[in-house]
Order: sequence, then C-alpha cells, then structure tokens
Amino acid sequence: MTATTDNPYTQPLVRPSAADTGSPVIQLRGITKTFGPKMAVKNLDLTIPERSVYGFIGPNGAGKTTTIRMIMSIIFPDQGELSVLGRASAVESKDQIGYLPEERGLYRKMKVGAFLNYMARLKGMDAAGLDRKVRDWLERVNLAETYRKKCEELSKGMQQKVQFIAAVIHDPELIILDEPFSGLDPVNRRLLRELIDEQRMKKRTLIFSTHAMFEAEQLCTHLFMIHKGEKKLDDSIDTILRKHDPRAVQVEPLDSASIADRRWDAIPGVTEVRRHDTWLELRLSESAAKETIMPIATTIAPLRRIELARPNLEQIFIQLVGGDAAALAAEREDFEPGSGAHASSMRSSGGDA
Amino acid sequence: MNKIFQVAKREFISTVATKAFILGVCLPPVMMFAMFSLMPLLMNKAAPKVTGQIAIVDHTGAVAKRVADSFSPEKIAARMSERIKREMDKTPAPKIAKDLANNNAAAAVQQSAGASLTVQVLPVDTSIDAAKAEILAAESKGTTETNPRLVLAVIPKDSLTQNKDGEFGGFELYSAAKLDFEVQSDIRNQIGTAIVDARIEANGMDGSKIKAITALPRPEIKSVTATGDKTINDAAKLLVPGAFMFLLWVSTFTCGQYLLTSTIEEKSSRVMEVILSAVSPMQLLTGKILGQMAVGMIILVAYCWLGIGGLLFAGMMSILPLINLVYLFVYFFIAFFIIASLMASVGSAVSDVREAQSLLGPVMIVLIIPMMLCLPILRNPNSMFATICSFIPPLSPFVMILRLSGSEPVPLWQVPATIALGAGTILVCLWAAGKIFRVGVLMYGKPPNFKTLIKWIRMA
Repeated sequence: MTATTDNPYTQPLVRPSAADTGSPVIQLRGITKTFGPKMAVKNLDLTIPERSVYGFIGPNGAGKTTTIRMIMSIIFPDQGELSVLGRASAVESKDQIGYLPEERGLYRKMKVGAFLNYMARLKGMDAAGLDRKVRDWLERVNLAETYRKKCEELSKGMQQKVQFIAAVIHDPELIILDEPFSGLDPVNRRLLRELIDEQRMKKRTLIFSTHAMFEAEQLCTHLFMIHKGEKKLDDSIDTILRKHDPRAVQVEPLDSASIADRRWDAIPGVTEVRRHDTWLELRLSESAAKETIMPIATTIAPLRRIELARPNLEQIFIQLVGGDAAALAAEREDFEPGSGAHASSMRSSGGDA
Repeated sequence: MNKIFQVAKREFISTVATKAFILGVCLPPVMMFAMFSLMPLLMNKAAPKVTGQIAIVDHTGAVAKRVADSFSPEKIAARMSERIKREMDKTPAPKIAKDLANNNAAAAVQQSAGASLTVQVLPVDTSIDAAKAEILAAESKGTTETNPRLVLAVIPKDSLTQNKDGEFGGFELYSAAKLDFEVQSDIRNQIGTAIVDARIEANGMDGSKIKAITALPRPEIKSVTATGDKTINDAAKLLVPGAFMFLLWVSTFTCGQYLLTSTIEEKSSRVMEVILSAVSPMQLLTGKILGQMAVGMIILVAYCWLGIGGLLFAGMMSILPLINLVYLFVYFFIAFFIIASLMASVGSAVSDVREAQSLLGPVMIVLIIPMMLCLPILRNPNSMFATICSFIPPLSPFVMILRLSGSEPVPLWQVPATIALGAGTILVCLWAAGKIFRVGVLMYGKPPNFKTLIKWIRMA
C-alpha cells in the first residue's frame, strides 16, 4: 500500500470481512422483470445475509436499479419470489428500510429541517425529540446552517447529503443506497464513506450500487455484479480476490537502469517478467511461494518498493462484462469526478489494462 | 393511517401557507364586498358638476317658467337623491351598505346643489340657427365661459294644442355634444313634464289630482311557502343558485389544480421515489387527496361565511334554507373526489405541466359544461333535460346543487339517488386513479396517451 498511503480515502478504513454475516435478510428466487420488449432482469437468484455490505456493480442499464426497486417493492417482478426482512414484500417493512433512490430529489420549496422531519415521520418516527435528531444529523454532515433554508437553495452535493440523512435518520436495519457517491466531491465522498462505514459498524445490512470499483472494494463484504439483466458475479470480496489472484510481484528499483537486469528472469518460480518504465512485474508459477521470491528480489537491486500485485476489481469487471465495447465505453465515461485517486491506485496495484 | 395523515398535512400546509393561496382565496371576497358596497358610491361621486344655461324659445309662453322652476337647486337635489335611492334598490347590496351609500348620496346632492342650471328665455323671433351657434361657441371657449349655453329647447305652439287628429305636438331639443347624458335626459324629462303640466292646466284640469290618480306603488312579489309568505328579491332568486354552483366549482377546481401541480412537482423534482420508499403509492394518493380536500373545505367555508354574513347584513337570510348548506358540502365531496382522482391520474402520468395539457381535455369539459348549463337549468330546474343532467356522473353534483338551491323544489327521491350515484362514481374514479397513479408516478419520458392509461388501469 505504498502509493496509496497518501490517499485521503483509504486511511481509516479497513475492509470489512464477510465472516461475521448472519442469516438472510433479502432473498430473491427466479426473479424476472421485463419492460416491454426489454428483459431488465433475468431469472435472478440472490441472497443477502444480515450484517453484510453488498455492492451492486454493473454497467449502466444492467439491471441494478431495477433489482433494487423490486427489493423495495416500488416495482413488482413478473416472475419469481422475493422476501425482505422475513416478509414477502418491503411494503410491510418500509419503516425498517432506509432507501436512497437513484432518482432522488427534494421538495424544492420545503425547508431542509421540515423535509427531514417529514421524512422521519413518514418512516414512523415519533415527533418527540425528532427535531433535535434532525439538527444533530445536519451538524454531522456540516449542514447545520441549512436547517431553515429551502431545499432548492442547496447545491447538488448538499442535497445528496440531506437525502442520505432522510434515508438513515430512522435508524433502519437495512439500508439500500443506489449510486450514493455520484455527484459528490472528494471531501464529501470521504464523509459519505465514513457514514456508511459507521452504519456497518452498527451491524446494519447495507446494499449499495456503484460504478466506482474502488469504493466497492473498500466498503463491501460482498459483490454482486449484473450485466444485461444476468448475474455475473455474486460472492464475498475475499473469495473473489482469492479466485482472481493475479499471482505476481511488483518491484520498483531505486535506479531504473536495473530494470533491464536479466537476473529478474532467473528467480526460481518466475515464469515471466513484464518490464515497465520505472518498475517491473514478476509473474509467478502456480507452485511458487511468494515468501521465498520476495527476499530474493530484494538482493538483486536496491528497491523503492516491492509488493504483491493485488487483484483488481476493475479488471475482473471488464473480464466478466466480456469485452462489451459499448458497455465499457459507457462505464469509462461514467467514472465519477474525484476518481483520479482511484485511477492511481489501479496503476500502483499493477493493472495496466 | 398515520402516514396518510402526515402526507395530507404536508399537502395541506404546502398549499395553504403560500402567498398565492392567501391572496387568491382571501382577496376575491374582499374585492367582491368592496365592489358591492363602494361601486354605487363611486358612481355618484363621479357625477360631473354641470353649470350653464338652458335656452328656451317658448312659442306657447306657458312652458318656460315651469322649466325654470324645475331647475331650482332644491328641485335638482330632490330628483338626484330620488334617483340614487332607486339605483340602490336595484342592487342586492347589504342594507348597511345601502344606508351608507344613501348618506353619501345626500352629501353628493349637497355638493351638486352648488352646480346649477339656469333657464334663459329667448324671444320668440330668435333665429334658431344663431341660437344653436351660441352652443358651439360656448363649447369652443371651454372653461373660460362662466355660464355657457348647454341646451336649446324650441317649444312650438302646437305642443299645447291638438290638431285635427287629436294629437299634440312635441318639442325640439339641441344639446352641446359633450353634455353629460344624465343631465341631457333630465332636461328632456323636465321640459316634457312642464309641457304636460301646461296642457293639463290649459284643459282646465287639476294637475295634482291627475298625478295622484296615475301614481301606483310597485308591489313586492311575495312567494307563498309552507313557512309563510316570503318576499324574495328577484335578483337574489338567480343569485343564490348561481353563487352555490360557482362556489362548488371554484373550490373543487382550485384544489384539483393544486393536486395536479403538486403531483407533477413531486415527479419532476424526483422526490417521488424518496417518498415512495416510506409510503405506498395508495397511501400517498389518499393523503394527497385528503390534504387537498381540506384546502377545498377552507375555500368553501370561507366563502360560505362571507355569503352568510352578507345575507345576514341584508336581512335576507330567508332566501337561503340551511339544508342547502348541507347539500353544498355533500355535493362538494362528490365533485371533489371525482375531479381530484382525474387530476391525480393526469399529474402522475406526465412529467411536466406542458404534457398535462393534452390529457386535461376531458377534465376541461367537466369544467365548462356546468357553466353552459347554468342558465337553461335555472330557468327550468325540473325539466327532463335538467333531470337527465343530474344523473350524468361528472356533472351530477354541479347540476344538483344548481337545482336544489333554486326556487322550485326538486323531487325528493333524486337527492339520495344522485348521492348514491356520486358515491359509486367516486369509488370507480379512485380505483382507476390508484391504478394509474401506481404505474405513473415512476414513469418518465414520453407522456402516455389515453390508450396507455387504460392499459395501466387494466394492469394487475
């Protein structure tokens, strides 16, 4: 983690583990939904365990929002069964669910404080002490002064924070966030990550969809990937990373002249050496032990850094999407502003896609 | 239930607590009151002050002095206050306003008494053309002329004598072009009266006796009702049903319109899905309709109080049986729920106000037809036509309120029958609106047409 240590995003967060998740909170079986001629979701099975943080990823139009809306009972599947929090429909447990939709807005003329009070009351909260809670939340996201402002006076990022508060103010057991990071600047992205992480610490079950692999990797215990309505990937992050371990060591010598050194190729267990301008990548055979190769590498030249190449979600994503050029192009354009740091971390972990 | 209440509360407050609503609802009654009470007053205040002379070429020698007498300041004032009183009796303004206006009229009369018309008798051999020329000359000099000639009257000799067919002759009157027409007609009337008086005297009859014989006070028409005879102001007879229907119309369509715009706003600002994460579409729809119903009630109650206040003022409460108020509220509910479900359906189906226009056609028809039917039904409230209209669902409440508040009693069975019909219509409309609303609220893009709406209704 050398190149990324200066990245303000990553410091406080430790990737959660899938180990302490519990019984299923959401179960989908054979869910199918069509819109006219288009099949938005095909025969989908999905089980989301308690206390998990589930990342929904996939290109635009893949079916993420449709799946989420079906979980929320905002639209209904054509076929299949679905249970949410032990009930047949989210309608019966709306008060235990916090939802930040992709299509989100505020009442333009309503005051921020009144809006949050209203939403909390709609979620079944008592009026007693509610206003205090609203003010506390606004203070936490640095919006205390907006309590009396009209919603239309807020910037897009501020509105998004207000919407996030509206989704979690009633302390729900299940939190579903559709594209929570879109449109936020780096500082607010970080704030939102902290808020999400805090919900995770409170043992809440979280689902969020995102385009930003980096955030998914940092926050999720599980990943669910959907493409053209079909499930492409559904596993815990640990398993995914293990399965897609690139088995390579990255080495950056102090003096780039030593990159050309042939001794790198001679290390036992190295099957291939990929040379870059300032660093090189040692590909390992199946049997090779990383622990023995890394000490050998340090003897060849003084190093600035040496690390194991980590599997990269974006690469996995691209592999699974299967070279669908249009989807990829759309995805590239869709990477959010502020993902510069994200791109640099990609490079540091060896992806040269 | 609590969620529905919360939605209704928000809908109500966000509609009522706006400047537009306060101005829109409170201003019209204030203005109406001001119009009724102040208009006659303003009209009299504005009467122009006229000073000048009436030139008379009197070939009979008996008319001019009578005319001069009738334009003495006292006579002018007496006629003026008489005229104001007559005008006031025609308007249905509250009694207190009339008294007020009469007092003001007296003041106005005092003022106008200063204004004077003098009669100048010209020699019989005066050239008519020269005399007319003086009117023109006086007018061209404008205000510099202190006693301008305004009118020239020529009274021929035969105006007092019969010809061989037994007819009397008339007289001729020339006036300055700009002379106030009220003054013109007053002069004409006075000269006419003077001639008639002169004829009566010339025929050796008693003028005052003839006046007494021909004078007859206009009797008030008393309606015979079960609770005794009632004097009903003719204007009020049409006014009350008209006002009732207008009230029903304004209150239902005002809040229908509010419901439409608030639904469109929730869609276009994309707050809809956020709300739907907390409440079901049916809860949202119900809450919104109930919230707007409260708005409609506010409008209804506000205007009812104004109307009742006005009637109490005027001492005309008898023309408004209290049961009509009950009917008003019953039919308000029926009309409101029908309009509201139409408006909510349209609002949920479209993405902005512009798109709504094309779907509002049928709503507009419901809006215009009662207005068109108003007069024919008022004239004949129990005709076959009126009865049939009472049983056409969207028109039913408007037509019924028109008929019930009119003067002819409506067959009793029609009241429960139309209420039952209304209740049935409400159920169907709300059911269809619920279906459309559920699908429509999350649909963006191309606005649907009627075929699509029907498809949505049929969807499970």
